[in-house]
Amino acid sequence: MQIMQAMNIDEAGNVDRSMGTDGSLIRLDGVHKWFGTNHVLKGIDLDVATSEVMVIIGPSGSGKSTLLRCVNLLEEPTEGRVWFEGADITDIRTDLNKVRTHIGIVFQAYNLFPHRTAIDNITLALTKVLKVNQEEARERAREQLRHVGLEHKADAHPGQLSGGQQQRVAIARALAMRPRLMLFDEVTSALDPELIGEVLSVMKQLADEGMTMIVVTHEMGFAREAGTRLVFLDEGMIVEEGNPREILAKPRTERARNFLSKVL
Amino acid sequence: MASAVATETNPPDLRGPTAPFPLATLGTGAAALVLAALGSLAIQAGYAVGGGPLSAGCVAVHLTPQIEGSLGVCHIVEAIESPAETMVLWVAIALGILALAAGLAAYRRQDTKRKRSHAVTGAILGVQAVQLAALLLWVRSGRPDRFAFHFLNFERLKGYFSLFLTGAKNTVLLAFVGEVGGIALGLLLAILVISKSRAVRAPARAYINFFRGTPLIWQLSTGYFLFLFGLNMRLSAFNVAMIIFALNTGAYASEVFRAGIQSIERGQMEAARSLGMSYLQALRYAVVPQAVRRVIPPLMNEFVILIKDTSLIVVLGLLRSQLDLYNVAREGYSDTFNATFFTATALGYLAITLPLIRLVNVVEKRLRSGLVGVTGAP
Repeated sequence: MQIMQAMNIDEAGNVDRSMGTDGSLIRLDGVHKWFGTNHVLKGIDLDVATSEVMVIIGPSGSGKSTLLRCVNLLEEPTEGRVWFEGADITDIRTDLNKVRTHIGIVFQAYNLFPHRTAIDNITLALTKVLKVNQEEARERAREQLRHVGLEHKADAHPGQLSGGQQQRVAIARALAMRPRLMLFDEVTSALDPELIGEVLSVMKQLADEGMTMIVVTHEMGFAREAGTRLVFLDEGMIVEEGNPREILAKPRTERARNFLSKVL
Repeated sequence: MASAVATETNPPDLRGPTAPFPLATLGTGAAALVLAALGSLAIQAGYAVGGGPLSAGCVAVHLTPQIEGSLGVCHIVEAIESPAETMVLWVAIALGILALAAGLAAYRRQDTKRKRSHAVTGAILGVQAVQLAALLLWVRSGRPDRFAFHFLNFERLKGYFSLFLTGAKNTVLLAFVGEVGGIALGLLLAILVISKSRAVRAPARAYINFFRGTPLIWQLSTGYFLFLFGLNMRLSAFNVAMIIFALNTGAYASEVFRAGIQSIERGQMEAARSLGMSYLQALRYAVVPQAVRRVIPPLMNEFVILIKDTSLIVVLGLLRSQLDLYNVAREGYSDTFNATFFTATALGYLAITLPLIRLVNVVEKRLRSGLVGVTGAP
């Protein structure tokens, strides 16, 4: 069965979504990651269904970011498989460039292209990867900038924007690809406290619209209000998993209790 | 008793009295330097314009009327050996020492930073004046007549002006074509050399090491015969030179590009890849455009170096119309046996390179201040 699922990517790398899906959009199956001798992820199994907002928390060095980066294969798992829409994307025959157009990611350091304006940051991949024509790309970019409340900054360079604005452009850039899954890697950690709110409210709005999201964060308020599921990661293993409100209010394990007592 | 208590509670005043004359120190130092430099030049100009006929002294050192340009050389020698020059130099030395002493004695006890800066600058200018005057005195004690005869006989350059212009044009042409070709080749090599695949990296690395590890003059001479005999191509020596300069510059430019590309944060590549771009697309649209801006100053420095290295085409037999600046001087020297042509060539190189060096500095400053929106910093 797994082999069948691995095969349902056609020659062009298009994922055939008609078969092999059991409601889960992304599935991690026994994922291990070593950096040299450093064992960062120790057998992660995870299922995220469409429209879920999964929040991942855990102490620094617990492997949260690595786990997230294994989802769109910016990091290649040393062992284990990652399934996206029923297809095994760790199979080396997979056209990863194609898969990544369906999975948006937003980074802690924004990673906007500093030599391009906000709108050109967004249109770049639309025109070069999705081959959308320039006019339509600009229309889609403007629509996304409106979405994050930055239409008036379309022609600004990243260097002329505040951290919060840059991060919202980065979100718009990812959304313009019309992804089916959005990954957020500690997107508010580099921001000044007064700028965190504007980014979180964009993310909440996105969650309300039904976007499937995996969010690595230290914002427990966001986890409580927007999260549909919470994962507590420690030393490369999932220690606790369940309803965010319940876990945050009453962690079952000593390690989670310990961690939460420090951050809440 | 009361005053003793006061000294205990208030810390003693460590400032000392304020020293006088900061501006006078600056003035003295500046005057000393101006006197040594402009004074000597003025004396030279005076002799050049108003100097008399060949003096007995000049004839005694073989600057006879039969020698072309001997009068001009004689005036230069007479000017530097004149009593006026003696006075100018010794007064400059005296003023310089005075400024140095006054500045050193007083700079710590100025009451504003501006005044302190005046005193220090005055002392520095004084030292420079003493150095310049001492150097000129040293030259004077040698054989300025011989040096001037060989290197400063500007009369002999007459009739060569258009050849110098051709030389300057050829120098710029050779360097420009070499640099442009080298930049294109260098960017390609840089992309190959940062590849994860050893099979891609190795040949590019071998090429770069070979061209960086052998002398350019050897590359020119052997390259010429490689084209002529090895490849049986009828290329002119001038065209061969342009090709070799491009091949050589490519090796150096590739290292500049490699460093530039590797200086772009890893997040840029990751952001581009996460949007579905291929590795080469990410390089082309996200990484290289930023790297190119960062390496503009070092590439311009390479260009300045190449301008001077074009003189190595000396090893290729070139037509008179194909000569570069340096070889124009050699041509003139072999016509006249006078080395003033080399002096003129040096001035010619400076006329080309100084504006370029200035431009590099301006570009570098603008890049650093982020005015052109390169670094992404506000």
